[in-house]
Amino acid sequence: MSSSKFRQASNALLFLGPASLFLIGLLLVPIIVDLVVSFTDMNQTIKVDEFTTKQFRKLVKPSEEAWFGFELRSSFYRALMLSAIYVFFTLTIFNIGFALVLALTTTALPGRLGGLFRAIWLLPRMSPSVVYALLWLWVVDPTDRGLLNQILSITGLGPINPKLDAPIMVIVCANGFIGASMGMLILTSAIRSIPEHLFHAARADGAGGLSVIRHIVLPALRWPLSYITVFQFLALLVSFEYIFLIMGPARSTMTMSMLSYTKTLAPDTGSGQYAYGAAITLILIVIGMAVALLLWRLTNMKQLLTQPRIEVQ
Amino acid sequence: MTLTSKFTTLGAAALVATTGLVAPAFAEDVTIDLWSRADRSGPLRPGNIVAAAEQLNRAFEAAGSDTRVVVNLIETNAKGFDADALNLLKAHSVGETPDIIVAAHEWIGSFVEAGLAANLEGHIAANEAMYADIIPNLWNSVMYKGERYGIPQDSEVRMFFVNNDILRSAGKDEAFIAALPGKVEAGEFTMYDWCDLAAEAVESGAAKYGWVHRPNVGPDFQMAMASFGIDIYNEDEAKLQITKSGLENYYDWLGYCVNNGSLPADMTTWTWDSTHAAFRGGESMGKFHGIWNVGKQLDAFGLDGKEAYFDKLTWIHAPAGEKGGQPKNLSHPIVYVVGDTENKELAALLVAMASQHVPNTAHAVGTNHTPINYGQIAMPEFQEKGWALIAGTPMLKYAEFMPNHAKIGQYNAITYTGVQAVETGEMTPAEATEMVIEELEIELGDDVIILD
Repeated sequence: MSSSKFRQASNALLFLGPASLFLIGLLLVPIIVDLVVSFTDMNQTIKVDEFTTKQFRKLVKPSEEAWFGFELRSSFYRALMLSAIYVFFTLTIFNIGFALVLALTTTALPGRLGGLFRAIWLLPRMSPSVVYALLWLWVVDPTDRGLLNQILSITGLGPINPKLDAPIMVIVCANGFIGASMGMLILTSAIRSIPEHLFHAARADGAGGLSVIRHIVLPALRWPLSYITVFQFLALLVSFEYIFLIMGPARSTMTMSMLSYTKTLAPDTGSGQYAYGAAITLILIVIGMAVALLLWRLTNMKQLLTQPRIEVQ
Repeated sequence: MTLTSKFTTLGAAALVATTGLVAPAFAEDVTIDLWSRADRSGPLRPGNIVAAAEQLNRAFEAAGSDTRVVVNLIETNAKGFDADALNLLKAHSVGETPDIIVAAHEWIGSFVEAGLAANLEGHIAANEAMYADIIPNLWNSVMYKGERYGIPQDSEVRMFFVNNDILRSAGKDEAFIAALPGKVEAGEFTMYDWCDLAAEAVESGAAKYGWVHRPNVGPDFQMAMASFGIDIYNEDEAKLQITKSGLENYYDWLGYCVNNGSLPADMTTWTWDSTHAAFRGGESMGKFHGIWNVGKQLDAFGLDGKEAYFDKLTWIHAPAGEKGGQPKNLSHPIVYVVGDTENKELAALLVAMASQHVPNTAHAVGTNHTPINYGQIAMPEFQEKGWALIAGTPMLKYAEFMPNHAKIGQYNAITYTGVQAVETGEMTPAEATEMVIEELEIELGDDVIILD
């Protein structure tokens, strides 16, 4: 091998090596392990006695009316639906909707004030998960110790119990208040990168605030919004820590990721069924991949990643 | 060499040494790995083993032997005994099997199936005098397929606590309060009467909540299920068991309690803190829990001694499901399990020493657990500080144990989802029963027998 070729190879190894190791070790290997484990009978002792599809058979039950002779088992169907509702509402209301509102309003404010509000919205992200969850537990406590009920009692309204009456709303809000900050940061920097003269030109042409947002800001946010949608969708699909910390293993918020966690590692929930949990996780991975590819196509992300035809500056 | 003969040899060696003959000396440290969850509620569970090793070392020293037993304490930080047992099973499957384990008894089935637990029948027979006083019923808790794989370390009794002051405020007289335990025992006061009484306390304004139960999966529910005739374990087949009609009756009862206002509908979403606070803060008439609460109850209500305690609180078994039935309660012993390792004979001997009256009483009295030996009750320390435990020991007459079956954790978790569904109003008792039976059939398969 010539020295230049050797250098090329060693450079490639040097630059791509760490990232490749990271990708293989932390992303690819776990998926392969999950795939293998889901087709075994691994439970409490982590020993594998046989390769089997019985974990997947636990998710369905025979039915004469169904297409393939079986239908989804009620608890699994329920987990799928709860995941869909949870991900959809957290994503649209908070991670995209609210993040956009925050980015638009804080960039419209004078520099320092906008920065202050953004910093406040970043606080939940910076606090440890357990502390954040404890605060939520205090907020939604059904007794008169709860913050929400204290506020309601001042306004003369009776106490409410969100954990019982609106459990999905609790986990959507708890995850959304944290999740909105990431979108807010990305969208803020995207708004900041819009050339200043476009705003002046629009104003000179007589555009109002809403017109500026519609014709100048939003078109510039297309790619960041697509990216946030795909990324946050995947993150929400597998998230369970706040659900578990706030709701515990409640049936009302037993999403797919919670189901997998409670069957495998969660304390005091009949856990230790590693292969069963792996099968549920494998289905989550497949759903994640399918939806990510679909969103990729729908938002035309490919165009974002192609090389620009002209050199910019 | 069998366990028995090894102990005979050990005993003979000690005898030879103490009678002045010189035993062959060899400098050797024998390390005993002791697996125990870091648990403030029982520091002497591992502590008594360490003390036993020290005692044994003094015997070796006196015998002129250089052998010393070193206890290597593996203190784990799992959140509960279930999580701890799962960690232990993982450690075992990678070859790190400890010699002694402190565990919740219902895991014994899993431990035996995994080849982790040593059969102790030979050891117990060979050391009969060391175990002769153990309360016989407790041996059931360490039995798996008819043989013993553990030594009970402590026991407890779970019951319904009643706040007498709330009953008084609700207009009940002393005669009613005094007669309550007797009525429960006779099967005259049923689970439904319990909910009616609790609802009466709430309606009269004497209590904010009628009664509270644990807010998560756990053994307590088993005694209520037993009251409705569910025999959770089929010993002949070593399988878990459920009765469909019994399960529906049990869920019917929970639904009834929520509907009559005696049980909070969101009980399953409470935290432990708010559950304890509701009873200890005098807001709830009843609580469904265990004897180790006594210490905290004394502090919370500002009581000193037996008389003040029983003036404030009454204990009853879980009442019968229907009139004339038998009340139930539950004991959930923590046990020592000996790992099937090369040191198992020595490890078992340390366990035997730690299970004697004096060390076990230090643990039991210090942590409000009932004794494992009958004779402990007569000890001055028990008489003086353990009055609550002495009062609780007769209740063990109706005690059930959790089955030592590998899938009991799953079984409890699934039946608990029915509790959640009924109490929160998501399902009717019939729907919940159907859902739970389906889950049990699918997840436990052949391990559960479903009866009508």
